[in-house]
Amino acid sequence: MAMRWWLGLLLLTGVLALAAGAAQAHPHVWITAKSELIYAPDGSLTGVRHAWTFDDMFSTYALQGIETKTKGAYSREELAPLAQTNVESLKEFGFFTFARADGKKEKFQEPVDYFLEYKDAALTLHFILPLKTPMKPKELAVEVFDPAFFIDFKFADKDPVKLVAAPATCQMKFQRPNDGTANAQKLGEQNFLGGDNSNYGAMFANKITVECP
Amino acid sequence: MTPKSGSSPARGLALCVAAAAAIVMLDGVMHVLMAQSPFGGPPGGAEPQIGGIVGWLLAKQSEFYREMSSTIRAAKSDGSAVWTLLAISFAYGIFHAAGPGHGKAVISSYLVANQETARRGIALSFASALMQSLVAVAIVAICAWLLNATAATMCGAEKKIEIVSYALIAAFGARLVWIKGGGFIRALQAQQPVPAMALAVHHDHAGHGHDHPHHDHSHVHANVAHHDLEHHHDDHDHGHVHDEHCGHSHGPDPSELAGPGGWRRGFGAIFAVGIRPCSGAILVLVFALAQGLFWAGIAATFVMGLGTAITVAAIAVIAVSAKDLARRLSGGTEGGGALVMRGLEFGAAGLVLLFGVGLLFGYLAAERVTCL
Repeated sequence: MAMRWWLGLLLLTGVLALAAGAAQAHPHVWITAKSELIYAPDGSLTGVRHAWTFDDMFSTYALQGIETKTKGAYSREELAPLAQTNVESLKEFGFFTFARADGKKEKFQEPVDYFLEYKDAALTLHFILPLKTPMKPKELAVEVFDPAFFIDFKFADKDPVKLVAAPATCQMKFQRPNDGTANAQKLGEQNFLGGDNSNYGAMFANKITVECP
Repeated sequence: MTPKSGSSPARGLALCVAAAAAIVMLDGVMHVLMAQSPFGGPPGGAEPQIGGIVGWLLAKQSEFYREMSSTIRAAKSDGSAVWTLLAISFAYGIFHAAGPGHGKAVISSYLVANQETARRGIALSFASALMQSLVAVAIVAICAWLLNATAATMCGAEKKIEIVSYALIAAFGARLVWIKGGGFIRALQAQQPVPAMALAVHHDHAGHGHDHPHHDHSHVHANVAHHDLEHHHDDHDHGHVHDEHCGHSHGPDPSELAGPGGWRRGFGAIFAVGIRPCSGAILVLVFALAQGLFWAGIAATFVMGLGTAITVAAIAVIAVSAKDLARRLSGGTEGGGALVMRGLEFGAAGLVLLFGVGLLFGYLAAERVTCL
């Protein structure tokens, strides 16, 4: 009796949990990214410059309701309000850019020099994220990803990451999420209902590391 | 135990204990599942990548989704591309629902919590998918087509609807927990050697105390009622003639699905799940509208919904079958078996509530519309 009791219970819980466990995110927006780490003349890192190109579908969606002088052509000025909305919305998500300098989390200031560009049916959002304080970390790690995985970040095939005016001794490495180097084991640390589920997207992180000995 | 002094606090306490137990159990299962890859692949294998079934589903889904935009573009000059679009949308719908999404979890839990048939599970899946498609089309038709609103406005509307949907799921779950908690407590009490008179009085009391949910409750248990003396007695306190009919019909006849009370019974689930449109469908619709092929987008949305419905229905049938199996394994309806079944129903009701609360407060952050 007790045996059957538990067997029945187990079976059902298993099915329900399976249904629930599959309740994970999936991307609706694809971004092809290019990033630059910008250094000051004294060799300290000042910020990150991003150029994010949205996929065809999302670009069209984002342009919905925007009036232009010429149909199908969008000038930088016409797109300025949208760029404003974009950077304001991105703030809530920490600009999907997560930096650690010598193991310590670093915050970014409000973005500067942001604008949208429309080319080949795709929107590209350009913006610079200045660090709160310029610094000279020995080890720097910058990850770009959406923890909720609503957005799939893929870095461009050609020149995905550049160091701009970095000291010659600095060595940059770039890891894509799917080349086996990303720490996909993070998934195992997740607790579905514990709130950490939000970090699901960490499996899909793009990681830039710079070592300046 | 005297009915007046004992039942209310006892019921409350047992409810709390049972709820806590359900949460602990669920959490444990989640841990085990999540410690491995979501579908129980080898934990921490040599290549801890996004692999297995989930990875494959995600990859397929992305593939289909990304093909949609080029197909819609192609359809502008070549009408036959619309067929390709519909095929892709259908496939996307199937894969989309197999992967993420709370809809199937809520519907499956609801079916398990209630004594529902597989056929009703299928009907609910299709109805909620249809409603999702309708809402998506309505949002884009009104916001984008009629009002020419911006994406930010539209996404804002989507977000509000999403919150309403999650709140509804939570409310729906809370109601189920309340109803099923009662059934579970009564099953618990039925386990104790209580004099028949006291039991009868107590049941009467419970019946009066929860007049509103009781209506639903009697429906829900109607088809096991004649197996279960305790429940038979309880349910028929306020039962309707209609219940009597359902209680004695074995095969699900059409009137059970669409007849009076048939749709109304599941409407809560349909509405709570179906009111939230799929962000993917909205993107496709806006894209199609911009290409001057709004009708193709609408067709794609409904076909997508059809695909989704098929997957959700399959999962719903599995859940219902699993419950049937559980009932058989636990020894049917006599004493302990009834307790197990009431416990299961209560647990499933708790799951619906947990989903609703979790979605509402962002614990399941994975399911949030991101407005850029």
